[in-house]
Amino acid sequence: MRVTADRELCVGSGACEMLAPDVFEVDDDGTVHVLQDEPDDPDPVRQAAQQCPTRALSVEE
Amino acid sequence: MSVEAPIPPAEVDLATVDLSDRDWWVRPPAERHAALDRLRAERPFAFFAEPEIPGIPAGPGYHAVTRYADLEAISSQPAVFCSGRGAVSMQDVPAELHEFYGSLISMDDPRHAKIRRIVSKTFTPRMLERTLDSVRTVVDDVLARARATAEANDGAIDVVADLAAPIPLRVICDMMGVPEADRPGVLANSTIILSGGDPELIENDDPFTAFLTAGMEMAALMERLAGERLADPRDDLTTALVRSEVDGERLSHQEIASFFILLLVAGNETTRNAISQGLLTLSEWPQERARWAADPSLDRTGVEEVVRWVSPVTWMRRTATQDGEIGGHRFTAGEKFLLFYNAANRDPAVFADPQRFDVGRDPNPHVGFGSRGPHFCLGAHLARRELQVTFRAVFEQLPDLEVTGPPRRLASSFVNGLKRLPARLGGTR
Repeated sequence: MRVTADRELCVGSGACEMLAPDVFEVDDDGTVHVLQDEPDDPDPVRQAAQQCPTRALSVEE
Repeated sequence: MSVEAPIPPAEVDLATVDLSDRDWWVRPPAERHAALDRLRAERPFAFFAEPEIPGIPAGPGYHAVTRYADLEAISSQPAVFCSGRGAVSMQDVPAELHEFYGSLISMDDPRHAKIRRIVSKTFTPRMLERTLDSVRTVVDDVLARARATAEANDGAIDVVADLAAPIPLRVICDMMGVPEADRPGVLANSTIILSGGDPELIENDDPFTAFLTAGMEMAALMERLAGERLADPRDDLTTALVRSEVDGERLSHQEIASFFILLLVAGNETTRNAISQGLLTLSEWPQERARWAADPSLDRTGVEEVVRWVSPVTWMRRTATQDGEIGGHRFTAGEKFLLFYNAANRDPAVFADPQRFDVGRDPNPHVGFGSRGPHFCLGAHLARRELQVTFRAVFEQLPDLEVTGPPRRLASSFVNGLKRLPARLGGTR
């Protein structure tokens, strides 16, 4: 699995970071940074992509 | 003890339902939900006239969006359905006014995105982890004071004044660095700003003036605090706000003041009502209360279910920027839509057995913090954290809490609020 974030779309809700804190971090600029672009545990990352309020995360399986 | 049993109401006559009438919103929740259920099933874009407010001409009316799918579709297309013409009032009010009171809520991109980024830096889950201890301290202290109040009053307390109001007020004021002496004023003014014009909360029966005065007082407090923090920075959100820049641009004093109002008001009232209405709901569903109290692993889903069930903010508005069609409804530019989160949160197309309060409900894709799109609640993590800590602490420290009478409901279409909820702590001598 590969995950990417569109920081133009991101509004920094932090929903992804709540679900997968090892993979996502809302940074000092108020938008998300992907800490692991090939995450070990795919489930919370899929959930995060689904729950992102602005659909800023893309997951390639 | 069950005060307002969740029994299914008799058939509702839609001809008597006016979502613009604030007095309709004090009717029992079961009756309101029966009406929303019928609207969702039969008239998913029902049209309502706008209420008259002295000083503001009534506009053309709005469509009440009650289906989850339509609400999500509108919310996720901010370019077609904008917020900048007013998101928190049915009427079109002057732009300065709704920006002042709504801040980010009533803005569109790119301005919205810029300002939101300044703030989302402060509201990240990681930042909140650091405030967790202080939330616990606040909750423990408020609960201890409630116990003392009960001891001095034959066990009687008011859930709103003694538990639900002080917790979020203290948390948000701590984060903002509001001095103790200014906090009663913040509580009073935020109550007026979100009173929905409820006559019981407004002196002199002049909601518009009361509303403006409350806003001015909050802005004056912010001016003072902003000045103090510029001169003497501290580790609080106000300092972060006065010093932060987006693309080399600082927030204006007015932007800071209106953002401050948003945080104080939104951070107070919504959580307050989730706590008070949540405790009321648990008294009506004693088996769910017992199940949650016995199992801390339900804290996460329990809180989500409280937010779904209560839907503390009833609606936000969007305005069409162009002609189009949505969910079978043809619309023209300028048409207004009110997104009824409380109705979407009981949509049987999404939630199994939606009229059942289930503290273990999972998944629970409720829209109590808003639906998809850039306006998703900025304080969702903070609210979740406060609510999880509060309900767990109530189960542990106030296991003898019993609701003893009917609540006094806020007469507002916008906020699902309680003004009072009598209770007693039975273990108090």
